[in-house]
Amino acid sequence: MNTEDDRGVDPGVTAFALAVIVFLQIPVIVVVLAAFSTTSYLTIPPQGLTFAWFGKVLSDPTYLSAIRMSLILACGSTAISLVVGVAAAYALLRKAFPGAEAITSFLMAPLVLPAVVIGVALLQYFSLTGLRGSLLGLLMAHVVITSPYIVRSALASLSGVDLATEEAARVLGANGLEAFRLVTLPLIVPGLVAGALFSFITSLDNVPVTIFLISANQTTLPVLIFTSVEMGIDPSVAAVSTLLIFATGVVLLFAERRFGFHRFV
Amino acid sequence: MIRTRHGIMLLAPLALVLVGFFLVPVIMMLPTSFREYQPGLGLAPGTWTLENYTQIVTDDYYREVISRTLGLGLLVTLACLLLGYPVAYLIARGPDRWRVPLILLVVFPMMLNLVVRSFGWIALLANHGLVNNLLIELGLISSPLKLMFNLTGLMIGLTHIYLPFMVLMLVVAIRNVPRDVEAAAAVLGSTRVHVFAAVTLPLSAPGILAGSILVFVLTISALVTPRMLGGPTYKVMATLIYDEYMQLLDWPSGSALSFALTFMAVGVIWLSSRLTKRWAGMA
Repeated sequence: MNTEDDRGVDPGVTAFALAVIVFLQIPVIVVVLAAFSTTSYLTIPPQGLTFAWFGKVLSDPTYLSAIRMSLILACGSTAISLVVGVAAAYALLRKAFPGAEAITSFLMAPLVLPAVVIGVALLQYFSLTGLRGSLLGLLMAHVVITSPYIVRSALASLSGVDLATEEAARVLGANGLEAFRLVTLPLIVPGLVAGALFSFITSLDNVPVTIFLISANQTTLPVLIFTSVEMGIDPSVAAVSTLLIFATGVVLLFAERRFGFHRFV
Repeated sequence: MIRTRHGIMLLAPLALVLVGFFLVPVIMMLPTSFREYQPGLGLAPGTWTLENYTQIVTDDYYREVISRTLGLGLLVTLACLLLGYPVAYLIARGPDRWRVPLILLVVFPMMLNLVVRSFGWIALLANHGLVNNLLIELGLISSPLKLMFNLTGLMIGLTHIYLPFMVLMLVVAIRNVPRDVEAAAAVLGSTRVHVFAAVTLPLSAPGILAGSILVFVLTISALVTPRMLGGPTYKVMATLIYDEYMQLLDWPSGSALSFALTFMAVGVIWLSSRLTKRWAGMA
């Protein structure tokens, strides 16, 4: 049967779809071009080529501390979410709790609630408990918004692992933790990497929760861009955005090469 | 099998974090939404009121913001569906070697920082942005079109941002449509258009519903893009909540609006899951 090849997609549909794909890349291209432009406003084609804006960003202590804060939160919350999220998913799958389905819905609930609602709820809560402006509070807030991605990918990966392999390891003398680490964990790593990447990006991307909780010296990169845009467009915003664009592109290509990332989206 | 005690120990850390930093804070916002706001003081001591909720349905300004938010949700969902279906179809049914590069091109903007994407649209749509400059240079218009701080700007920005979610949902749905059924319809003399309308489209309906619900809920909840492209004046529900808390310090109104927004988002998801179950029951 060769029907799959001779029944291709209509050329008109293909052209339209490719145009939409180009539309998806347009703001990205514009930001990158703006970052290399010598003029302080944006023109196409860019007038001249300069790396000055990158130098400005990388020597600006405000940007550097925002980048540092964003990385601390993204790495910290993803690490915590990985540990507690995989443990919870493992418990849900291996031992049928009464109401496992309800528990799973609860673990996923932060995805359903509008992020701005979680943000204002935590603002009031942190103001009352004195956690506002503390790193611990911020980290926990980011665990709340990132853990559903880890739980989801861990549940999906673990359900594909045959229980018998782990039990075989137990019979051969491994204890529970060893059996998990040596047998189950290697099998679910690609799925977990995808989940961790989503978690990392969710934290790095977040404005609607973070902006309500930070003190003046805790500004993250997206919050800094978000607030600085209200004062007007500045090419250094384009430069720092371009750095993020390249970082995202490199991470995405690496995840694809190494783990076949497209299977997990 | 692990024992229940071990299971609870494994589950407890995440459950405690979510109870302490999600469930309790949201529940604690409930009493605030029934308190009275006193300018300068914040919460008026001792008084309870339904005012914060009744004003959402009676106040003209709030009603305008809410209907704008819901209208925007519908328009963006429709736009994502119309733009996204052909892309998903090409990915699912097009040449095999195109599939992974196309998926990555769809995922890449989705992984990219939201503020960066919104910033890109500001650079394009502002009065002296690229689109206006280009149109003026080409002599097509004489004064800049108003593309920001209005419905047009929010439509373009939000459609761009949520389109990848729609495409990914639709790809799964279209790939689940058995090719044999399409082939059978074609063998029986259906034209390509008819095969699509009678087989592919209806069989991908669950994916269309799921993608639409996702995009709708994301759109009505969005804060960053509406704020960056709508400015401080053209408000939707999320930016209104933001201002009630950050500018006016009117926590009672803000929390009532938060519950209204949550009610809409959760309500839409609940309705759709009911609908999906009914469909599954009919099949």
